[in-house]
Amino acid sequence: MKRLLIALFCILSLPVFANEPVATQAEATDKEAFSPSEMILHHIGDSHEWHFATLGDEEHGTHFTIPLPVIAYQPTKGLSVFSSSNLAHGEAYNGLKLEHEHLVAEDGSKVYDFSITKNVASLLLSAVILLLVFTAVARGYRKNHGKAPKGVQSFFEPIITFIRDEVAKKSIGPKYERYMPYLLTIFFFIWFNNLLGLMPGAANLTGNIAVTMTLALMTLVITLASSNKNYWAHIFATPGVPKPLLLIMIPVELIGVVVKPFSLMIRLFANITAGHIVVLSFISLIFIFQSIYISPVTLAFGLFINVLELLVAILQAYIFTLLTAMYIGGAVEDHHDADFQMGGGDGAEPAHAH
Amino acid sequence: MAAAPASPPDPNETDRLRAFAKYSGLAFQMLAILGLCTWGGLKLDEYFHNDQPWYTISLMVFGLVAATYQVIRSLSRNE
Repeated sequence: MKRLLIALFCILSLPVFANEPVATQAEATDKEAFSPSEMILHHIGDSHEWHFATLGDEEHGTHFTIPLPVIAYQPTKGLSVFSSSNLAHGEAYNGLKLEHEHLVAEDGSKVYDFSITKNVASLLLSAVILLLVFTAVARGYRKNHGKAPKGVQSFFEPIITFIRDEVAKKSIGPKYERYMPYLLTIFFFIWFNNLLGLMPGAANLTGNIAVTMTLALMTLVITLASSNKNYWAHIFATPGVPKPLLLIMIPVELIGVVVKPFSLMIRLFANITAGHIVVLSFISLIFIFQSIYISPVTLAFGLFINVLELLVAILQAYIFTLLTAMYIGGAVEDHHDADFQMGGGDGAEPAHAH
Repeated sequence: MAAAPASPPDPNETDRLRAFAKYSGLAFQMLAILGLCTWGGLKLDEYFHNDQPWYTISLMVFGLVAATYQVIRSLSRNE
């Protein structure tokens, strides 16, 4: 079972490249045709309104939708704020309209979109949840000082100490304390948002490359800001490398600095997006086959993947935190094991001359 | 939610999780280096209107060397 799970994680870790939704001939001519790719991309993408469900068909049915505020800035017209319900069904409002969820001006001028989109709303919601949960945990520590943890506190304490002992202390070493707030924040932020993203009708926040890029950028900035001279010496004067070879080694080392957070960004984005796509694909099968008899199978598979995603949610949060801690650990390390057992490093044992 | 990290950490189990994270991280790092180099090469060839994709080829080779070097370096550093 464990092997199977690991194999599945690896498959779910495969990068997925989402194509821009392009209306096909069939969609353009036949409104009724079900297009799984359109449905899936709509579900994993961001949008200007929060759509939960539709009862009945697309045109006459009841839509359960929360309109969200659109905040647009145009250099020519200035700021405009209005509800996204004004833009529903491709209508134009204030000279602005939505084209494939991109806010564009009718006259083609530049628009800066600062709207509270579904992802932004979900981010704010998760921030509120995190604040509520962790102020409760912090209150618990003040109240039960020196006593056993109670309530929510007792659920989170093992996780917090796990991050401290297994992630921070092991990867960063004696200077781990400064980085605990950041590590705990990203761990719980990613975990909570992964779980929120699995709820029906929720936003796919951690499967949004802009969000994961921001997280990865913070990791990069913190790594670089806490780096010491050993770290840079290893990049610009790799020990044991002849001078002419440094011409190649410096770019190779520099690309490593950038690529580490870059791989964090890709990994979180790809894992979460892939999980959502797999679940939605299984559900789409019912509509592709247009048969009720296929539904037990696809629902069972969909449920299985969804439950697996619960595990992936915490695993990805853990991996992101662990790798961040490892990168920080590499930057604050006092002594690099530079000689690779070949001798000659400053930590090497003195040669025995007999 | 009852995943391994939530339960009291068993040192053997956490070491395996750590190894899993570390080594699959290396794979992603290789992918990212090769992807970035190829993308950069394609962009450069497009920008300079080259007949032959020299930038793509050389950057891909460079990416391969860089990716291999990064893997070897992370593996030979004993933690």
